[in-house]
Amino acid sequence: MANDVMISASDLSKSFGSFRALDKISFEVKRGEIVGFLGPNGAGKSTTMRILTCFISPTSGSARVNGHDVFDEPLEVRKCLGYLPQRAPLYLEMSVLEYMRFAADLRHLDEETFRKRAKSIVEVCGLGQVLGKEIRHLSHGYRQRVGLGQALIHDPPILILDEPTSDLDPNEKAEFLDYLKQIGQERTVLLSTHNLAEVESACARAIIVSRGRIVADGPLDEIRAKSGRVRYVVAIQESAGEAQYRGRGAPPKKGDVEEALGKVVGVKKVSELPTDERAHAYELVSEKEVDLRPDLFKLMVDKGWVLLELRRDAQTLEDVFRNLTIGDERRNRRLPSASDGVDDDEGEDEDEGDEEDDDEGDDSEAGERDEKAAKVGS
Amino acid sequence: MRNIFIIAKRDLRAQFNSPVAYVVIGGTLLLLGVLLFVIQHTRVGNVSVGGFWEIDRATMDQMFLYLPPLMSIFVIPAVTMRSLASEKGSGTLELLITMPVRDSEVILGKYVASCTMVLVLLGLTLLYPIGMFFFPWHLGALDWGPVWSGYLGCACFSVAAVGVGMMFSSLTESDVIAFFLTAGALFFLYALGGLVTFLSSNSAWGVLSDGLAFVSFQTRYESFARGIIDTRAIVYFVSVATLCLLVSFRSLESRKWS
Repeated sequence: MANDVMISASDLSKSFGSFRALDKISFEVKRGEIVGFLGPNGAGKSTTMRILTCFISPTSGSARVNGHDVFDEPLEVRKCLGYLPQRAPLYLEMSVLEYMRFAADLRHLDEETFRKRAKSIVEVCGLGQVLGKEIRHLSHGYRQRVGLGQALIHDPPILILDEPTSDLDPNEKAEFLDYLKQIGQERTVLLSTHNLAEVESACARAIIVSRGRIVADGPLDEIRAKSGRVRYVVAIQESAGEAQYRGRGAPPKKGDVEEALGKVVGVKKVSELPTDERAHAYELVSEKEVDLRPDLFKLMVDKGWVLLELRRDAQTLEDVFRNLTIGDERRNRRLPSASDGVDDDEGEDEDEGDEEDDDEGDDSEAGERDEKAAKVGS
Repeated sequence: MRNIFIIAKRDLRAQFNSPVAYVVIGGTLLLLGVLLFVIQHTRVGNVSVGGFWEIDRATMDQMFLYLPPLMSIFVIPAVTMRSLASEKGSGTLELLITMPVRDSEVILGKYVASCTMVLVLLGLTLLYPIGMFFFPWHLGALDWGPVWSGYLGCACFSVAAVGVGMMFSSLTESDVIAFFLTAGALFFLYALGGLVTFLSSNSAWGVLSDGLAFVSFQTRYESFARGIIDTRAIVYFVSVATLCLLVSFRSLESRKWS
């Protein structure tokens, strides 16, 4: 049973007029998986979820939830789903208990089951204090909890949560994620978010979408490893202030440092980090296989500069995410895409990240995307 | 069936939990009372206005004259505007529709709730004939026949008008727009009756006036107010309601394809 496919989408596309919100998305989610559905705003996360919950229909492609087709058997699909839409749109004039009962009624639970389920939901969602209150008087955090509560009332095998933590404070978020792990053991959860820390703590697998396409899908470690590059942070003293300068000669100028760092073999990118006047700090990016640290050390010794910090990070999920989806930002700001240094990185990243498009070369793919971006931008 | 009932129950409760229901009911009864008992009897063309007292007969005719226009421009738009438009606007429709319910059940549930609300209000207007001719006052022996047929006419009229309201409510996301569209459409459908009377005086316009009379809510309703139960009118009102509900259903479904 462990390998049951609970959600499967194949070649889902959705167009709103001339805007293509989803472009042939395919993925599968198995029983017991908690999958993070990641992407920048407008990437198509909510659209996908709305298709899976039969709220809208795809323009082409098909999807099955728990073996039922979303187009042919919407009622069956909805029966085995718990869904929390973005921002938890609840009936504000109802009290929490009334709302729970309404959801239970529509799901045809009998009174005894309702009591039993409601009791456990009130406990785990922490709704005991607000049961009799009207939803309009609740904070957004509590509304989210009520929304989650109604999604769980019928003990569904599949949960689809659209940005469930967006309105929670950090404590609530942590609690919610713990709870999610707990209920996720025997359930399938598809969770959309743009908060990467959440995905790292709750999900074992992530699907990253960007501009309606899947750009990465797999276990988090694999996705992290995808970018295949390493980041270094180097800080060099610029002024010693009152204290004695311990380097050789005068402290270096900004341009000199940048130039020297750029010349180190293996460095792919140098970018300045914000600092005060006491130091120059730079971020370097290199391929994973090369270790720049010995060379950097040698550079410092040769130049006689004072090294304040040298750090090597594997790329975080956040960096990967940014690299994979950066085209979206550019599109939103209407920047021409082939103009800055990040661009060639993007092309390669996407190529590595997106298995489906592996057959296309770097340049042609980047070019195609640029064209698209320009079209949408105009 | 059960889902229709659950949705209707929730909607009714929401109506009665908000001040809208009480404002509408109270306002309508008050306005009707003022029109009937305070305003002096005058005649504007063929239409007599005001004057429960001046008519000098034990009759509720005047009330049935005011009820449909009052409901057209005030009650029904106010009751139906929230049913779908505001749910679309606030996003609660998404949660409702992703429950295991059919689109048709959502539409019918909301329609039943709005109809119930309007019929409750209609029922409350019974207070006037009862108060005047039964208890506490006995102003004369009222012929109840035309009263019941008048109520049947009002009920049929409401059923159709609520359908029109639902339709406009399903077409927009703003309840204010839904209110004015519904009020405008119902006023137009009712006012066509006046046009019919005007045109029928000139034989050259006969065909046109017949055509308009076919569509006009007022022409259809009038016979009820005079104590005649016209089955053609009942069929007409029910057909209008059905057509409007079908349009609402399609409009709700269109979210899938837009």
